[in-house]
Amino acid sequence: MKGIVFALMGGFFLTFQSVANATISSQIGSWQAAAMTQLTGFVLAIAIVITIRDRSYRQLTQVSPLYASGGMLAAIVLFSNMTAVHIMGVTLTIAVFLIAQLMLALAIDSKGWFDMPKKKIGRTQIAGVLMMIAGVIILKL
Amino acid sequence: MALGILLAILGGAFVSIQNTFNANVKKRVSVWTTTALVLFLGFAASFAAGLAVEGAGLFSFQAEPWFWFSGIVGVGVVACVTSGVQMLGPSRAISLVMVSQIFFGLMWDTLGWFGLEKVPFTWQSLLGVILISGGVVLFQLGPKMEKEPYARLDTRTANANDG
Repeated sequence: MKGIVFALMGGFFLTFQSVANATISSQIGSWQAAAMTQLTGFVLAIAIVITIRDRSYRQLTQVSPLYASGGMLAAIVLFSNMTAVHIMGVTLTIAVFLIAQLMLALAIDSKGWFDMPKKKIGRTQIAGVLMMIAGVIILKL
Repeated sequence: MALGILLAILGGAFVSIQNTFNANVKKRVSVWTTTALVLFLGFAASFAAGLAVEGAGLFSFQAEPWFWFSGIVGVGVVACVTSGVQMLGPSRAISLVMVSQIFFGLMWDTLGWFGLEKVPFTWQSLLGVILISGGVVLFQLGPKMEKEPYARLDTRTANANDG
């Protein structure tokens, strides 16, 4: 039960994040908004790391530099998210984001790219993605 | 509209790549340290891109006080999703997160809170959102139904920077 509440709140925060970013960007500009929300988030996250005395950063040297620099991709993610929300609203933006995300995750898993364990794709999963695309078409009509 | 869809496809694809990279970082480093690293690099990249595009103009803006607390939301995402996954397991938790995300999106468009342009509610858009949610659940729980260890989404699909 508690887990369900956490998961629902997680979804709420993700949507709230898109809306807040779009609102902030329309007032101060996209790059300013992206830089500001991530800088303030970083300050908070580092405060948590210090408070819980988390020393796992020492293992960062064992992580491939390519994977460790993944955070930089967020600049593109946030910019496209904010612009898309301005153009077509949150619902449609989230829907297309989820579909693109799921399809690429399927490709990554089925090919075993980026050191991910190789997994097969099921028919129900293709059906799931098709159902989502149908949903987007209905949303857009 | 076409530009919006294209940007959302591009953004979603990058979320997937980023989350896969983050998953590799989390094999060695804790969730919070990973989050701090990801947000710092995201800040650095956005700052650099802003400087390249706008030059000194990047610094001339008037922020409302609450803008400076916007980062709390991203930390809320990580805290809630991580706890949800611990309690429910990745596949159930993440499908619930995604379904919740899309329904809150519909609510937000309808209410137009936070200066967002109102998108009037229609039964058609509710039907669209229900279909999308059904698709997410089918995608996630399908492997169980087919009794095969097919690909499934895990924690890497929800992070602080996601759409």
